[in-house]
Amino acid sequence: MRKHVALYTIAFAILCVLIVTGCSESKNYTQPIQYNHKKHIVDAGLTCFDCHTRVLTHEKASIPNILICKGCHEQPMTESKEEKKLVDYIKKNQPIPWIQVHRVPNHAYFSHRRHVAIGKVACLTCHGDVAGMTLPFSTPYLPIKMAFCIGCHSKNHVNTDCATCHR
Amino acid sequence: MKWGMVIDLQKCTGCGECVAACKLENNVAIVEPKESEMGRTMLWMDMLTVYEGEYPRLRVRQFPRPCMHCDHPPCTKVCPVRATYRNEEGIVAQIYPQCIGCRYCMAACPYTVKSFNWYKPEWAPGIRETANPDVSVRLVGVVEKCTFCVHRLQKAKEQAKAEGRNLREGDFQTACAESCPAGAIVFGDLENTNHRVNPLSRSPRATRLLEDLGTEPKVIYLKEVD
Repeated sequence: MRKHVALYTIAFAILCVLIVTGCSESKNYTQPIQYNHKKHIVDAGLTCFDCHTRVLTHEKASIPNILICKGCHEQPMTESKEEKKLVDYIKKNQPIPWIQVHRVPNHAYFSHRRHVAIGKVACLTCHGDVAGMTLPFSTPYLPIKMAFCIGCHSKNHVNTDCATCHR
Repeated sequence: MKWGMVIDLQKCTGCGECVAACKLENNVAIVEPKESEMGRTMLWMDMLTVYEGEYPRLRVRQFPRPCMHCDHPPCTKVCPVRATYRNEEGIVAQIYPQCIGCRYCMAACPYTVKSFNWYKPEWAPGIRETANPDVSVRLVGVVEKCTFCVHRLQKAKEQAKAEGRNLREGDFQTACAESCPAGAIVFGDLENTNHRVNPLSRSPRATRLLEDLGTEPKVIYLKEVD
């Protein structure tokens, strides 16, 4: 009997570990550069749309790459090690392999233009206080689940018909 | 608003352009010939062939057959999980992540417009990249069918809203209607008198498939003039 209890306990523990690590969305991504949002927004006075240029006009917000970074960082501005990495990418004309963390599944239509430009939803509603972030995203700010979408849509009296987003 | 389609059989040449356009637009899987023989061909828009009379007075008629988007759809009534339902604009939608693959809807549909995904979506090398990113690739074990290109409606509505206006005729067209070289397929709002489909649907030539079932299809055929 005691042996059985021990076996069940081990099985339960393994299951818990699996749920926490593999099955949940708490995957941790390591970005190629330890980008500092705070420095760019608070100190340099940039807005989100200065670098994520397609937010207001396109479905996808676009993750800025060397072409945009080049505008300021062609020559190093500080002695930061992270900036050196960026300057190296620019010199080699090699795109930065950013990892997209916030990813809406393909069966749902999500448009930044619809939400930000037309719906006037603030970036921080879904992405959190990015202006205070000193490190890049390693996990999504919120788990990207339908319940979150529906919560917001119902609260703001937006259409919750399935075919509004599902495709 | 009630989206509907008018197919003029007088103009239709049976070329199959609509079938090809639909297949490409909606990432509909291509099955092996062997499976196709087992009745597992996947087509959202099919070209049906009807043979009339006998040789030498044989007449072959062909007509395109998308989902009828019935006003009283039998398929939605049998779905146990509401994976298929009729929305306010008259589109009979199919929500893939909700579908459990029971295939009740396939049995219920008198027009046999639904297809079941028997296999994992597999693509020949290089083909995956050419898939339409606006339409999701369905997983194995779910039922799919023509959606009246609802992904185009989502984009058209967004564009209209960004420009601060209402949806105009032509903003939202299905891939089949857009591709038809003979202009036989007309798509639009059946309730809007400014849309071409409205007068066409009331034409004396207008007919619907299996009308006596009471499904009230929103795909209207215009009979050939003999």
